Amino acid sequence: METVKSRNNLVVSYLTVGGVIIIAMMVFGVLMLLTQGGVIDLAPAAFYQFLTIHGTGMVGAAALAAAGVMAYFLSQYVQLSQKVMRVNLALFLTGVVMVIIGVFSFKYASAWTFLYPLPQLSANAWGTIGALLYLFGMLILGAGFLLFYLDSGRAIMKKYGSLAKGLGWDVIAGKKSEDDAPPKAVIASTMVTIVNVTALTAGSAVLIMNVINVINPAFTVDPLLAKNLTYAFGHIFANSIIYMAVIAVYEILPRYANRPWKANRVFLIAWTMSTVFTLLIYTHHLLMDSVMPTWTLILGQALSYANGLPVLVVTAYGALMVVYKSGIKWDMASSLLYLSMFGWVVGVVPAIVDATIVVNHVMHNTKWVPGHFHMYMALGACTMFFGFMYYLAKEDSDIKENAMNRIAFVAFALAIVSLSGSFLVSGALSTPRRWATHIPEWMGPAVFGAVAGVFAMLAVTVFVIHFIRYINKRRHNVHLEKTSHDEKPA
Amino acid sequence: MGKPMFGALLFGLLVIPPVRHLMESVMIVHMLVQIPLLILAGFLMAGFFRKSFQRFWFVWNENGVPGMLLVVIIVLYWLIPRTIDASLENWSMEWFKFISLPFLAGIPLGDSWGKIGTLTKSIIMFNLIPMLGLMAWLYIDAPVRVCNNYLEAEQKMLGWGFLMITAGCIIYMLQYAFTDRSDAVSE
Repeated sequence: METVKSRNNLVVSYLTVGGVIIIAMMVFGVLMLLTQGGVIDLAPAAFYQFLTIHGTGMVGAAALAAAGVMAYFLSQYVQLSQKVMRVNLALFLTGVVMVIIGVFSFKYASAWTFLYPLPQLSANAWGTIGALLYLFGMLILGAGFLLFYLDSGRAIMKKYGSLAKGLGWDVIAGKKSEDDAPPKAVIASTMVTIVNVTALTAGSAVLIMNVINVINPAFTVDPLLAKNLTYAFGHIFANSIIYMAVIAVYEILPRYANRPWKANRVFLIAWTMSTVFTLLIYTHHLLMDSVMPTWTLILGQALSYANGLPVLVVTAYGALMVVYKSGIKWDMASSLLYLSMFGWVVGVVPAIVDATIVVNHVMHNTKWVPGHFHMYMALGACTMFFGFMYYLAKEDSDIKENAMNRIAFVAFALAIVSLSGSFLVSGALSTPRRWATHIPEWMGPAVFGAVAGVFAMLAVTVFVIHFIRYINKRRHNVHLEKTSHDEKPA
Repeated sequence: MGKPMFGALLFGLLVIPPVRHLMESVMIVHMLVQIPLLILAGFLMAGFFRKSFQRFWFVWNENGVPGMLLVVIIVLYWLIPRTIDASLENWSMEWFKFISLPFLAGIPLGDSWGKIGTLTKSIIMFNLIPMLGLMAWLYIDAPVRVCNNYLEAEQKMLGWGFLMITAGCIIYMLQYAFTDRSDAVSE
């Protein structure tokens, strides 16, 4: 039988695994920047292996942690299957192990994009086994997430009737009053379910296409179709992380501010718009593919502009209104969640700039783009679930936050702004991205970024250690409760 | 006349040599009409077998998962071009096709579909969508004739047929997810 405790155990596992993998991936990130900055001498082959594991691991780990946030709050409104959550975690770990073996034992290094025909056409940099381990690892990982989202879709449909009602379309249509709108956690989870089931279905198709091509290169794929499917998978899946993590902002900030933050019609329309836009804007990754139909590129630019607005505006504005003159008590959870609003708002700006076709032709292959997604993902999405980790620790135990945590908060904010800034400056200097070797003129920002990365890594380590301390404390408390219960006279 | 009788009649019709030859002479009809109809025949007959062998189904297919697993394996097997080719050249394979599809896929499907929950059904559908999409790509884009008994043009036509079915599945899932199902959704 499901209890709050057993449900929390799984959420805690998701967040711990996610947090630990993120720290490990930050090590690879720092090593890559040090290589680009000329501080250490890493072989190019190793650099590209690090690039592959860093991109794949970061997105995978952040998605797992964000799924934990989504599961925690969604299960307060609908009945999620614990078994499915367990299977997802097991498949995630299996996939991660396969990817790690593929990358480090078999030198697979196509970057997370595994862009056809690179997995097969490696010029002997890696072999068939490495490529298959990576591709099947991703497939297994994706299958776990697909199960998770199918279950969330099932649970939402069972409680609310349909995904349309989960998005509050009946409220938008005026059939129900705003008071009867679904909770924000349900709305966001419905959106994520729709976009991620689509993304993972596209992803599994292109992964198998690559597998067939790796096994038998005579079977070829239209490269443009493969690229569309790859980004329909990768962009949507990575983008969805923030939409899962933002549930923490919706649920926690109002509790801290002691103010209601209910969904209204504007909020519902914004989430529906973002559902549609998120599915379509991946085409901004193909703005340099001249063979794409022009209308899709125009759509990519226009909808990328539009997608930056609806949910972000209603969320950031709503968060400001909830906090304004509320007398909110600032602790690690509320501070991180509030900081995430800044990260999200600032982080999308370089993306919207890059989604402009004429800018994209110049900037897309520079480090401008990592500048965007480091700000957006680290200071936006990850900060949301780091905030949630502190919230859960505080709610679920008597653990106290110390000065180290507060120092880590400041260090994290400054370090990520510096890291992202160094990437953006590199982009402005036309430094190409995904290059193992830099000319001396490009090295300065890379070294600066590496130093910032070290501070960011230390700060995240403090966050995760705090969470692990909470787990130990919780386990200890449970043990004490059990002992005192056993010792009670009958 | 009940469903099992319809199933038996359909199976009898599909076995008749002229009908069989006609269907197998065109690749898209062979793959996308004859095979699904054989499964449908078994599906319709399932009620009779369920009643006659109640204990067997209870012991071996209590929650529907073993039955669905068998269905998936049999369907996957008959999606492989080589097996289709073999069924046209080898009598034992042709026999196996006519036995396996209705009796090892159709009947278990009929018994299992009502037993499995919404989540398992969703998994099957979302496994089917990319799988059929892949089959579409495979048959449209294959650089060689994948079946000796059919022309390349026919296999391209089959690929487009698969693509149509994929699109149909997507539209079905969209209408399923976006219309009210509060009573129909189970664990």
